[in-house]
Amino acid sequence: MLEGVFGNITVEKILFTLYVYGEGYPLGMARTFGDSVNRFQQQLKRLEDAGIVASRLIGRVRVYTFNPRYPFLGELKTLIEKAFEFLPEKEKGAYYSKRTRPRRTGKPL
Amino acid sequence: MTIDWRRIGIKKLAALISEKLRTKGIDTVLVGGACVSIYTKNRYQSFDLDFVTHATIKEVASVLSEIGFLRESSRHFTRHDCPLFVEFVAPPIAVGKEPIKAQTELKTRLGLIVLLTPTDCVKDRLAAYYHWNDPQALDQALMVAGAQKVRLYEIKKWSENEGHTEKYREFAKRLKRKKG
Repeated sequence: MLEGVFGNITVEKILFTLYVYGEGYPLGMARTFGDSVNRFQQQLKRLEDAGIVASRLIGRVRVYTFNPRYPFLGELKTLIEKAFEFLPEKEKGAYYSKRTRPRRTGKPL
Repeated sequence: MTIDWRRIGIKKLAALISEKLRTKGIDTVLVGGACVSIYTKNRYQSFDLDFVTHATIKEVASVLSEIGFLRESSRHFTRHDCPLFVEFVAPPIAVGKEPIKAQTELKTRLGLIVLLTPTDCVKDRLAAYYHWNDPQALDQALMVAGAQKVRLYEIKKWSENEGHTEKYREFAKRLKRKKG
């Protein structure tokens, strides 16, 4: 959907992920979409260079969020929000509805 | 002119790079911590220079290589004997949602530096404090506001537009205390 605007489908997946969950990391995204980690790392780096996303290290994991200082963030999020509405429910269910609430340590599934 | 790259200060290096790029038709604006260093006369010591330019990194790289600065990663440049490093951040020049139109021009013996005004420099640091809760950025904003004339009313209005009235109050309170 946004592939035409952003040049590739990986960026679309990244932007939807950050829009839905607020943050994400390359390995997590790669597992969710069954794609290579390298592909996500490359595109996240590109988005970071452009100032669209920001990252910080948590332990050994580099976690990405939208860069709150990106001057067009409001407009970008509006576009992503609109595009997300058009996403088939099946896709939303498969990729963008993971549990995010905490799970106590040691609690059986 | 011989340059002692190991001991070069941030202002000198900023002037040297700005001037070198300008002679090749590339305009830059210095942003970030380097502006804090300049405005506080190094009370805050930054080790990197962040420039914004609309030129391509390829064009910048070709000019900077003439003074020994080589591209380290996508946007970073270093020189083997210089402790400071240089980054070209993606345009536009903005503080939060607001584009920056006015800049300060600083004439030095080594050339002209175009940089954020003291007021925008404070906003730039406050943006980091507002969005990332970075206490160092708040300290830097206070240092600049204490050392330079800044338009506090403009900073207050901007903070409100960014949705950070509460944090602005904290900044204003600490600035008042600092100025006694």
